Amino acid sequence: MLLDVKGLSKHFGGLQAVNQVDMSINSGQIVGLIGPNGAGKTTIFNLLTGFIKPTSGKVFFNDNEITAKSPHIIAARGIGRTFQLTPLFTEFTTLQNVVASYYLHPKSGFLDIFFNTPRYLRNETYAMEQSIEILKLVGLSKVKDELARNLPHGYQKMLGIARALAVKPKLLLLDEPLGGLNTDEITFTLDILVKLRKQGITVLIIEHNMQILGYCDHVVAINFGQKICDGSAEEVRKNPEVIKAYLGEQHAA
Amino acid sequence: METASTCIMNGLVTSAMYILVSLGFALLLSIMGIFNFAHGAIYMVGGFVTYGFSVALGINPWASFVLSIIVMGLFGLFLEKFCFRPFMGNANSMMIMSIALIFILETGANIWLGGWTRALPSFIPGVLKAGFFSVTWERFLTLIIGAVLLVLMTLLINKTTIGQQMLAVAQDKTGAALQGININRTAAFATALACMMACVAGTLMAALLSLNPYMGDSILNKAIEVVILSGIGSIGGVFFGGLIIGFLNAVLPVFISSALSETIVLVIIMVILLIRPKGLFGYELF
Amino acid sequence: MLKNPFVTGRNKTVYIYVGLVIVLLLFPLVVSSTFYIHILILSFIYVIAAGSLRLISTSGQISMGHAGFMGIGAYVSIYLSKFLGVSPWISMAIAALITLIIALIVGIPFARLRGIYFTMITLFFGLGALSIEQLFSDYTGGYSGIAGIPALFSTDSKIPYYYFFLILVTVCLIIMFRLEHSRIGQTWKAVAQSYSVASSIGINELQQRVLVFAIGCAFAGLAGAGLAHYSLVLSQSNFNLLASMYLIVYVLVGGIASFAGPIIGTAILVMIPEMSRSLKDYVPLLFAAIMLIVLFTMPKGLAGLPAQVKGWFHRKNKGNTPKEVINNAS
Repeated sequence: MLLDVKGLSKHFGGLQAVNQVDMSINSGQIVGLIGPNGAGKTTIFNLLTGFIKPTSGKVFFNDNEITAKSPHIIAARGIGRTFQLTPLFTEFTTLQNVVASYYLHPKSGFLDIFFNTPRYLRNETYAMEQSIEILKLVGLSKVKDELARNLPHGYQKMLGIARALAVKPKLLLLDEPLGGLNTDEITFTLDILVKLRKQGITVLIIEHNMQILGYCDHVVAINFGQKICDGSAEEVRKNPEVIKAYLGEQHAA
Repeated sequence: METASTCIMNGLVTSAMYILVSLGFALLLSIMGIFNFAHGAIYMVGGFVTYGFSVALGINPWASFVLSIIVMGLFGLFLEKFCFRPFMGNANSMMIMSIALIFILETGANIWLGGWTRALPSFIPGVLKAGFFSVTWERFLTLIIGAVLLVLMTLLINKTTIGQQMLAVAQDKTGAALQGININRTAAFATALACMMACVAGTLMAALLSLNPYMGDSILNKAIEVVILSGIGSIGGVFFGGLIIGFLNAVLPVFISSALSETIVLVIIMVILLIRPKGLFGYELF
Repeated sequence: MLKNPFVTGRNKTVYIYVGLVIVLLLFPLVVSSTFYIHILILSFIYVIAAGSLRLISTSGQISMGHAGFMGIGAYVSIYLSKFLGVSPWISMAIAALITLIIALIVGIPFARLRGIYFTMITLFFGLGALSIEQLFSDYTGGYSGIAGIPALFSTDSKIPYYYFFLILVTVCLIIMFRLEHSRIGQTWKAVAQSYSVASSIGINELQQRVLVFAIGCAFAGLAGAGLAHYSLVLSQSNFNLLASMYLIVYVLVGGIASFAGPIIGTAILVMIPEMSRSLKDYVPLLFAAIMLIVLFTMPKGLAGLPAQVKGWFHRKNKGNTPKEVINNAS
């Protein structure tokens, strides 16, 4: 089991944002995390990646506990993520965004960097080459020298994924990667997800867009901070609780 | 006994003045995100404007006081519209602006009146004696005016619409805007208010002590201390912070040298900050 | 061969700097006026301070207590050299080191604060440091200042000081340049743009911010100590809030976004008070005038002026709109 979440909870003052969520993810899967707005999905992401500390519960990654560790440590363990809002280094170019993200692998020492040693130069060349490859993968090669903040929305989303891939994640957390994309861009993104799965990267996606259900091996549905369903895409699609959450009471029957 | 009552009186007076200045400073910081370096200079200008009306133009001191409050209020509106509003959101530009302001105001005052201190005549001469308790009318008046104003401020913030709007913007600008609050109008009001309060404090202190172009510098330091101590983003906390700093500054020099008491206050605050950087009443803003 | 955006390569601006250094090296041979030599020495010292202030700002933190750290360096060096008899050369180095350590210690709780609140805390620390230093008036001269600071050179001539500080500022600037234009500096700039994104790629943003703060303050301590052993006379006005404000003004007017910014800003603004002794009272007004002109007309500061002027002629410099981006890409 790649990711094991037990009893994850978070409350802010009186508000119970996430309540006793359990989840297991095996490697090589694409897993969907669905639920209506405000259900707590991004909060769960933030809890998993260390941006918020849980009130209770435990998270295990590759059998190592990562509960409440700092974000940079979790990134080093092999979890990458994208963000819904402000997802990029806005003052860097597209290429710089990805090259910058090669912070962990390979890691150059302070002295190596300062004195421009051959090892540092080798690492940087490697980062460059890998970045170009990733940009090719996500289709952003032509805009590599554009400032990130000038990119149209769809491109920015792809750049977010490109950036997260630089961490060489075993688990990739994507927060609404299809948000605001047109049909072509959605198809393109979904194809990339399949390619990533082939490369052995496990993906956990938060999404509203029900199209991803077709691509998911496994889906977890959340409402009001609680898990309401956990199973294959088919099971979840038919689950009355899920239907009620999205469409309202009358459709459930 | 007399020392104790004098101490308490001095502590209260100093606190009141500090709170008046710090409140304005905190409002500007929270509402507009501006670190107004020139706030001490505005305090000083308030005193100078009163001086200008009363001594240079010979107008009745009380009338001068009121006039200068009005003038400073208008100045606040001017400041907000032409100096602060264009640079909202750009911290670097705000910094240049407020530093440029302090240069202009202090140098202007210096050139106009020269660096030697002037005296602003007291509003009420004479001494009030009540049993063992003796204080100049001036000091007593300062306390009364200060206290009344602070009560008015509290009422304004808590009970009026515009006051609540200021508080809303201070706590969450985006949320407030979404609620339909006119940010510019609120900011203008807050700036005018801050300038008027600083003017009152400046005039009263000038009458108590004396007037010189650089008297704003130490007040700015105190305002910063109060705001840091009370806490990031807290408006109400300024009352407590001001009280603490005011009393410390008024009482400590009686027992130890004033340089040492300055340092002790700073060290106390630094220690608190090292353990709790957001201050006594502050909250995490990021 | 693609150029890695973060590896320093042959840069045209490097040639400008080299040319400048050569001119400065030859300057005393051509100009003998001690007045100009003195102004240049002060510029060198303050460029170290302003440049390091700007270095800290690459991580998104603006320090308003930088002069306070200069003061720490100065007073530590004075204590070691004047009262303990250590050679000023050694005391300067130790002072810079001690300033580094102090900055590391206070930098950790300070870094928990962001944006304007970090600035407030550093401002406050500058006030506090100065106040504590004045307490030890036996060693610091208190409010009125201290004289008789041991000099770096035993001669009265300013020339050795000129060359020493020219070499010192060049070395410091090379270090700062290297830091900024490498992955180290790029990490700091990443942190400045987004703590969240930086953390998500494995950057310990708290650690990095403390690191750059400490390094910057160490340079300030060095500059302060240098000032002490050059001026031989110091007072609290060298390291008070106003002094910190002046440093910020040097950086902002010169242009905080560019490496050359603090150099240009310091060079111009340090000159002004020295040149207009008779108009001493009006100097702050002149500063204010320059600041307002730059504020309202030059968004990138003085250093950005060439690019700004070029931008009036070429649209491309303003960056592409998203539509243009898509058009270019297809």
